[in-house]
Amino acid sequence: MIKLAIGLLGLCIFQGLGELVVRLLAIDLPGALLGMILLLITLVVRPALRDWLEGTSGHLITNLSLLFMPASVGVFFLNRDILLQFPAIVVVLIGSTGLAMAFMAWVVLRSGVKRD
Amino acid sequence: MIGLWVYRRSGRNTLLHPLLIGTPLIFIAMITLQLDFESYYEGNGLLRWLLGPATVALAIPLAQQMHQVPALFKPLLVTLFLGGFFAALSALLLGKLVALDQQVLLSLAAKSVTTPIALGLTQKLGGLTSLITVAVLLTGIIGVLLAPMVFRMSKIDDDRWQGFILGVTAHAIGTAKAFEISPRCGAFSTLGMGLNGIWTSVFLPLSVSFFLP
Repeated sequence: MIKLAIGLLGLCIFQGLGELVVRLLAIDLPGALLGMILLLITLVVRPALRDWLEGTSGHLITNLSLLFMPASVGVFFLNRDILLQFPAIVVVLIGSTGLAMAFMAWVVLRSGVKRD
Repeated sequence: MIGLWVYRRSGRNTLLHPLLIGTPLIFIAMITLQLDFESYYEGNGLLRWLLGPATVALAIPLAQQMHQVPALFKPLLVTLFLGGFFAALSALLLGKLVALDQQVLLSLAAKSVTTPIALGLTQKLGGLTSLITVAVLLTGIIGVLLAPMVFRMSKIDDDRWQGFILGVTAHAIGTAKAFEISPRCGAFSTLGMGLNGIWTSVFLPLSVSFFLP
């Protein structure tokens, strides 16, 4: 339990650091994202730290969908105009995702990567 | 307040796609209890706040996979840059083709990125967070459904690349599917998801003003 709390604290510290860097360097990225990058670098340099964070991060990542609930419920409260476009939106998503995957597959094949 | 009880309750599902089931349920509950969205949203402050640390937490699985990278470094980067760019761009162009609203377009651009990052990014772009959440969810499911066909037709059977493509285009939901294929597939999917999160965060704000006057 303590470990989980420490883990959470650690993640928050990195998030804070990320926000700080975004502020100082005036970059247009979410602070949490920069925090993730900072943490990544730190973990690569000091793998031992992973142990402290693994528990908390596992819980957060497992329950990731839960964290999106509040925002996703909002879809039912979108205004009329946007809801009317929903079928078109779905079509765009299908097309775009499909094309993106096909395109990436093509790039991979073209780069001539050997299978193993 | 009953409201708080609803918030807690609605989260306790162990279904495969809790968002798909839970969201309509909450909506029904809200109408029944006559809750307005503002109260619900505010009441879930803690849940929303956790999204920050959750984003940071993504670094851990990523750190675990780092050693897999050096061998494929260049192809990975090229595929990432082109693929991530294409994923967002195709959404914008297709959306323009079917004449979607400006704000809808802005809300769809980040769809290939994992939700914590997509939310922050969409806010920055001026899009609707409720829409991007749905878009991300749908994109993930669509990606997982289309992937087998794409892999079959392109004859890509290297699970590292399958994973990477899944991760870049279908983020977390794609990664879940990737782990079903193999641990290595899942590893590369996590990598793709994480890297695309970074890459899209970088190019999208810059490009959007270019493509949407």
